[in-house]
Amino acid sequence: MDRRLHALAEQLDAHLISRREFLRRSAIVTGSAAAGLHVLGSMAHAQGPKLRVWLFKSYVTAGNDILAKQVEAWAAERKVQVEFDWATFGDREQKFVAAVEAGNPPDIAEMNYQGPMRYRPALRDVTKLAKDLAAARGGMLPFAERVVQLDGQYSGIPRLVFGGGLHIRKDLVAEKGLKMPKVYDPDVLDVARKCQDPSKDLWGFGQTLNRCDDGNGFMQNILWDYGGGTWDKDGKPALATTFLKQNLAAIQFAVDTIQKHKVQPPGVMSWTDVSNNEAYMAGKLVCTNNGASLYYAMGAKNHPLYDKTQVLLTPGGPAGAFVASNPYTWGLFKASKHAELTEDLVRWVEDEKRFEEYMKACSGQAGPVYKVRAEHPYWKTNPNYEGMLQNILRGVWIGYPGPITPAAIEVQAQYILCDMGGRIVVGGLSPEAALKEAHKRVEEIHRIRSRA
Amino acid sequence: MAISTARLPGALTQRPQRGGLRRVLGPDHRMGYLFVTPIVLFVLSLVAYPFGYALYLSLTHKLVGLPPVFVGFENYIRLSADGFFQRAVVNSAIFTFGSVGFKLVLGVVMALVLTSNIRWRSFWTGVLLIPWVAPTVVSALNFLWIFDGSLGVLNYLLVRVFRILPQGVGWLSEPHTAMASVIAVNIWRGFPFFGISFLAGMKAIPVELYEAAAVDGAGMLQRFRHVTLPGLKNIMIIVVLLSTIWTFNDFQIVYILTKGGPGGTTMVMPVLTYETAFGAQRLGEAIAVALYLLPLLAITIMVLARYMRKGRKR
Repeated sequence: MDRRLHALAEQLDAHLISRREFLRRSAIVTGSAAAGLHVLGSMAHAQGPKLRVWLFKSYVTAGNDILAKQVEAWAAERKVQVEFDWATFGDREQKFVAAVEAGNPPDIAEMNYQGPMRYRPALRDVTKLAKDLAAARGGMLPFAERVVQLDGQYSGIPRLVFGGGLHIRKDLVAEKGLKMPKVYDPDVLDVARKCQDPSKDLWGFGQTLNRCDDGNGFMQNILWDYGGGTWDKDGKPALATTFLKQNLAAIQFAVDTIQKHKVQPPGVMSWTDVSNNEAYMAGKLVCTNNGASLYYAMGAKNHPLYDKTQVLLTPGGPAGAFVASNPYTWGLFKASKHAELTEDLVRWVEDEKRFEEYMKACSGQAGPVYKVRAEHPYWKTNPNYEGMLQNILRGVWIGYPGPITPAAIEVQAQYILCDMGGRIVVGGLSPEAALKEAHKRVEEIHRIRSRA
Repeated sequence: MAISTARLPGALTQRPQRGGLRRVLGPDHRMGYLFVTPIVLFVLSLVAYPFGYALYLSLTHKLVGLPPVFVGFENYIRLSADGFFQRAVVNSAIFTFGSVGFKLVLGVVMALVLTSNIRWRSFWTGVLLIPWVAPTVVSALNFLWIFDGSLGVLNYLLVRVFRILPQGVGWLSEPHTAMASVIAVNIWRGFPFFGISFLAGMKAIPVELYEAAAVDGAGMLQRFRHVTLPGLKNIMIIVVLLSTIWTFNDFQIVYILTKGGPGGTTMVMPVLTYETAFGAQRLGEAIAVALYLLPLLAITIMVLARYMRKGRKR
């Protein structure tokens, strides 16, 4: 309670003032407080409009700091108030779902590749802005265009793709006189078998099939590597139909790394996205697929394995080497009352000088989505960055060889492919039975999403 | 003592002239409505409305950002035929009853130990309460590290220190150990609640009953069986009932440790609800998952409650 009201109440209790007097004075106090709040509100309004900005908190903290500073600089320049909110892997989608459903989304948000498709009903058409930015930067790279554009309408602005690749201990490979692997079978298996030493808890390959982004990425890539996939070129489910034979071979290989070849550490099926980073940095892995955050973390900590690590192109299979390049994007929400300001903010942070500052702090994580950025000399400053760049440039999109669709996104979001691997390794199903089970789930998702 | 109404003053014997409600509820019934209305509105707005709306949404096809489309019982029918959902139901039953069973036994043991003549009883009571007091998220994250196949302390102890196993075990990644591990964490976290409740119940049992039983020649086990257990019966029912509901709805432990994986081995209903809502972003179906077993839980609660009331009457 306000201390003045409290004092008045005490005076009333002590019969120092009458009830009428108490009511009169308390009305004055309350009225003046309300008026004060109104004045404060007016002052706040005089400071300019307020924008709610949601940013993605990546593991590359130096990049987060730079982006935040750039947004703050823009706010100071435009006399705008900014309310920041950060979300990361574990809480990002929940926040978006809650905000969209409550009709209270932020004005602008940094989303992952799923955002433009999933939150399309709540996102503003930013076709003109997207085309302007792309035109000034030599055009959008194909995978980025696919993610933000549907039927000619752009629902997001691509920002970056996480660079990454196969992080491998070049010291161990050299010690055994082996060549750097290009394909999983036999190259990676060969390196893994010859370099590992289970008695010292050193394992050849660290790649979970568990429900996480790392598991999802590997399972999707390996199907493509063997000439298979989840979707056919028309965007129809193809796990256990069109690509049954290829997918069977792919999934058999993935499972064999654990069960037959025994090059993966115990517990790999329970790993989350950070587990392989931790195991690699603890010196327990010969190689692992990961984003650039692992390389960044080792560099930032002056880790002894930083200089002993080479980042290679993600290995491939009989049909080639495939990776999904999944860009992070800016989403501008329809509910915002400051459409022009949000577009202005995107132009500000996507300015080439500012993006360069950000990119250089990200140790290969801020991969290009525009052609001009792919030609930046930064990518040649470190052989590992060059590997990450090439990995991005050959990237395809979720849904490949068909179009990217809400159903393709949902299959990723529900970890259907990870469950498929888990059902074989842990559930004891045959690869064919697991494929058919997963196919049924994919068909169901396709049916539901098609209806929507 | 019988009182003849003929002798009472007229004002007391006069029956209400009009208004059935006034006659039934008393002369101040309008004021009664006034007092009750706020709480009724409060309950309606905070419980009945959200529940009713959730029920409605479960009968719709509702995707994030799009309006719901009424589909009747389609979500429930589809779930009934969904193998992944069926496994989640079975997993939930194993997780719930496995955990509650062990917690019940451990709780009784804990209460018996704490009622015996041990030294530093208060200290041990405090120590045993730590799992219950510690935030679940913190406990679960600690166990995630303990169970880690490569860097976990459990494998380190078993392989390096005590040399019991030649190689580490993937506690959260093997078919048999994954569910056992999440159950173990739930037991660790939940048994102090059982123990402390039973401890309170045991202290309420009159000492004379034990003395009488001892005089009749009852041994320790017989005293436990014929005095302690009947004395704890009602508390046991309440505690088991509450724990069944809490364990069935436990999300944090399973989600943090396994996210329902690997391969759905530990997928329980709350995690499936969460995954359907935020992963698939199908809100109608997610609510249907959450409500699917509600009638069964409600019946269980009613049966147990009736049983308790019967016990009290006897």
